[in-house]
Amino acid sequence: MTEPTLAPAPADYPPGRFFDEVYEPGGTPRPHARPLAAELGRLGPGHLAAAGRRRDAIFMEQGITFDATGEDEPVRDRPFPLDLVPRIMPAEEWAEIKRGLAQRIRALNRFVDDVYHEREIVREGLVPWELVVTRSHFARAVHGIRPPGGVYCHVAGCDLVRDADGTWKVLEDNVRTPSGISYVLENRIAMTRLVPSLFRHYRVRAVDHYPQLLLAALRSVAPAAEGEATVVVWTPGPMNSAYFEHAFLARQMGVELVEASDLVVRDDVVYMRTTSGLERVHAIYRRLDDDFIDPLEFRTDSILGVPGLVRAYRAGTLALANAIGTGVADDKAIYHYVPEMIRFYLGEEPILANVQTYLMRDREQREAALARMGELVFKPTDGSGGKGVFIGPATAADELAGLADLIRAQPDRWIAQEVVQLSTVPTADSDGVLAPRHVDLRPFAIFGDDIRIVPGGLTRVAMIEGSMIVNSSRGGGSKDTWVLEDSGEPDDRGEPAAPESLPPVLPGLRYGGWSNQHQQQQQQQGR
Amino acid sequence: MLARIAQELFWLGRHVARAEHTARMLDGVFQTDLAGAPEDPRGVELTWPGLLAILGARVEGLVGRDDALAQLTLDKDEPASLISCVARAREGARTVRDVISADMWEAANTTHLVLNRDDLSGQLLSSPYSVYRYVKERSALFWGLTARTMLRDDANSFLAAGGRIESADMVLRMLRVALPVRGDDEPRTGQAQALLQAVGGLQAFRRAVPSPPNAVPASRFLLYERSYPDSVAASVASALRSLEEADPQPRNSAPVLRLSRLSAELEFRRRGDDPSTDLVAVCEQVQRELALVDADIAGRYFATSAPLIPSGAR
Amino acid sequence: MNFQLRYLTHYRYDRPVTENLNSLRVRPATTSTQRCDDFSIRVEPEARMTRYADYFGTEVTEFGIARPHDHLIIDVRARVVTSEQAEPPAAPWEALEAPLYREAGGEFLLPTGDEPEDPAPLVELDGELDAPTPMDTVHRLVELIPDRFVYDTEATYVGSTVDDLLAAGGGVCQDFVHLSLILLRRRGIAARYVSGYLWAAPDDGSTDSVEVETHAWVEAMLPGEREPAWVGIDPTNRRLAGETHVKIGHGRRYADVPPIKGVYAGSAGSHLEASVQMSRLDPAASARP
Repeated sequence: MTEPTLAPAPADYPPGRFFDEVYEPGGTPRPHARPLAAELGRLGPGHLAAAGRRRDAIFMEQGITFDATGEDEPVRDRPFPLDLVPRIMPAEEWAEIKRGLAQRIRALNRFVDDVYHEREIVREGLVPWELVVTRSHFARAVHGIRPPGGVYCHVAGCDLVRDADGTWKVLEDNVRTPSGISYVLENRIAMTRLVPSLFRHYRVRAVDHYPQLLLAALRSVAPAAEGEATVVVWTPGPMNSAYFEHAFLARQMGVELVEASDLVVRDDVVYMRTTSGLERVHAIYRRLDDDFIDPLEFRTDSILGVPGLVRAYRAGTLALANAIGTGVADDKAIYHYVPEMIRFYLGEEPILANVQTYLMRDREQREAALARMGELVFKPTDGSGGKGVFIGPATAADELAGLADLIRAQPDRWIAQEVVQLSTVPTADSDGVLAPRHVDLRPFAIFGDDIRIVPGGLTRVAMIEGSMIVNSSRGGGSKDTWVLEDSGEPDDRGEPAAPESLPPVLPGLRYGGWSNQHQQQQQQQGR
Repeated sequence: MLARIAQELFWLGRHVARAEHTARMLDGVFQTDLAGAPEDPRGVELTWPGLLAILGARVEGLVGRDDALAQLTLDKDEPASLISCVARAREGARTVRDVISADMWEAANTTHLVLNRDDLSGQLLSSPYSVYRYVKERSALFWGLTARTMLRDDANSFLAAGGRIESADMVLRMLRVALPVRGDDEPRTGQAQALLQAVGGLQAFRRAVPSPPNAVPASRFLLYERSYPDSVAASVASALRSLEEADPQPRNSAPVLRLSRLSAELEFRRRGDDPSTDLVAVCEQVQRELALVDADIAGRYFATSAPLIPSGAR
Repeated sequence: MNFQLRYLTHYRYDRPVTENLNSLRVRPATTSTQRCDDFSIRVEPEARMTRYADYFGTEVTEFGIARPHDHLIIDVRARVVTSEQAEPPAAPWEALEAPLYREAGGEFLLPTGDEPEDPAPLVELDGELDAPTPMDTVHRLVELIPDRFVYDTEATYVGSTVDDLLAAGGGVCQDFVHLSLILLRRRGIAARYVSGYLWAAPDDGSTDSVEVETHAWVEAMLPGEREPAWVGIDPTNRRLAGETHVKIGHGRRYADVPPIKGVYAGSAGSHLEASVQMSRLDPAASARP
């Protein structure tokens, strides 16, 4: 085995005051990242830049795009920005994250069940009832309904970050309709095509089985005889920014991608309209919020959705993933209580910590937070995708003053968090030059008969120097996330191991056609 | 399969076929226009205004070559233009991309991206041929990929049916515009090479028909010749086969019954060797039947929901 | 009092419609002061009906008609016995702070979410409600609303907000209730929206049968000797609720207890005729000369 060269950090790669996942503060690559650093050095900026241009062309052709909404610009398709430098995670590090996530999702799922039934956690005085019933996603319509298997959060994506000393923390939970998994799969394929040499020294865990896991989970909760469940993906339509992903998942699972007008409820059973009449549907993976699924139950002003869907759900003829009402669990004020939930429901200590959070509904916490607004992050409790978030250090004083009024008027709707100094990973700019950029991680979990988590997840990266805003809707990019197969030093696997058996001897290939035969004859005659 | 998806596929097929025929016709008319009037009497009228009529494009005053080329090729505000047609096909493919193969979607998407490149209008001025050739090739690529990579299921059938019905309709439109209206006693003679070229069937005609490419044999070839894939008869027969495959009960299907009647009638007319038949009238009648087939298909397979209206009492 | 009640709704559609799904909250509740003896719903065209109790305990009847139809009749019949509510307890303001009261009040103590943008009009109205006890405030509210706002069916519509009521100076029972809820909760009194039927016959007892409409009023929770009690109050009619009020159910606001809610598929408009016929069945009621 050849010892990979110890490439130091590029001269213009500033160490920075953050935790860099590839280079130690002195500029030496961390052990697991040495082969990567060496290979990046060998490729050089020119090669990376060229590969980047090929990547953009391929993504546009394949329509792997994201609708980026600028401040005053119209919505436009742009290639989903994949940075060509992967993020590498050693096996043991991932094992810990995986355990922590499964624990957290189990607790969140129990919480949803509890909130719509006995409310034990409220009666124990651990979570205030006012907080629960005032969450905008608290769904009275499903009070007392327990879905098949008691599973509510079939699909979950928790956002993780590493702080200044490299500790993993949970930034927020997404148990409504988290998106991004299609990019995880597409990124991996693109990386193997664009920069195959980076893979040379690593054995990376596969991610492409996600659609099969999802389909199996949906089938396992569908109220139908084994093997007979009809599963569909429900999209709001092509105008939705994540439509690409909806279509991707339907295609990968081999199921129909439906819109509301395709579905109809008759006598508490859901059907889809097909070319040969109505066909029963047993499980729906829906990619739209509760508000838009049934005009009879939600949003009285809305005529979107499928009238009667909640009836079918209540009658138990339909599995919905995720279940109705899970939004109460990914509310940012509820997030504060997740460690308590883990202790209460599971009797365990949380493996992954929360980021320090302050509830603005609490008078003391509020006043303390408002006194140092310039140092904190303020988030609306029911938002997602970074909408409405104020980052204290990056916000003008007069804007913060206005925000303080807003918070005082509706303290229930806001939380504050300490700023996390997100870790950095080398990232290539359009010229292929590497610079540290901040990242987070959204792993994707599937809960059917058990919780399964796809290795790694979506690493989102802020493409602008110093920025910590990684949301793809606000200009963030992504990285392929590699979970290594085994612990220990990476090896050089340039040569594949010798096969265990030799291939059989096959008859020689024949070449047909008159002229060809004629030529062969002539050649034979000429010998 | 989903009724809405079947409808999208049917129209995807139609738009791809329409783009191809539009490119062929533009190319054919352009060549005819450049070549000037032939010495032989001309049997067909293929002119720029005629082309605008075939495609149902807007007509403003007298139309010259450059105006018509620009309007029918790269004008995004012209619904009948090549670029609009390709854009619609791409939108349709986007909606059904989980049903068609990834290769097909990429083919449709790339065609759209290339036609929207900034340098294309310059290329159209210097070499219109290369633009039309590109669209024809991309269309052939799309259908080739369909044959090679798409599951042969109901979705495939509706896509194919759409493509064939559009093909038949485009050829009929072209015949109706190209065949000049004459007195009843005047036989339609004169050469019709331009017409065959605009459909892309000149070579096939020469191999299949011994007579010179004059108006009557050329028109009969484009209407009745089943062995030529873009003839009306071949398209109708092939659309019929597709629907028979997609429908679990073809014997009860109104569009299947109507298409099989139409197919038989075209075959009957081919055999009846009556040169005095008014081909323009035949085209008209076949086109009317095809419109009814279209309505039958929508009624039987594409039933979708009416808009939802909330009600309540105060 | 003992009532026979018939709530008849008749929709006519310009053209046939399909997939007509409806949720009904029309059954008189059974409470400490009210009992529903007989209850039936007939729907034309015929449809299978299912029932369940919603989050707030109201019985919901659901049905759907898939096939094309040009009319829909919903015919509800019920027999109800009602009695006057008990004398409301007179507790001091401090009793509202008791943990037992707060817990029992639950989400009916929280802001309704429909508070006007500009608090000034509320503050002004609130000033009129100062009184020695919560119950006195309730009595004042019952006078204040009809003093300040006219009953006007044209001023607002089913989706109107409290802002609309304040701007128009008039509205219907639903609007008065929404405003009352805000005013009561501002003072820490738990209050909820009640949907039901009202026996609105002339006081002279000259008739046993009247045509009425569905009605809305308020229930406020007042601290009692042992436990808090919900007291019905009817700001539209300037009085407390009593045996003339037949309750269907309650919620935070109108949207939690609409009598009929439906959606149909079609491009047709609809015409609605609705009537509530109430008849007294008590022998003692016939006070006719």
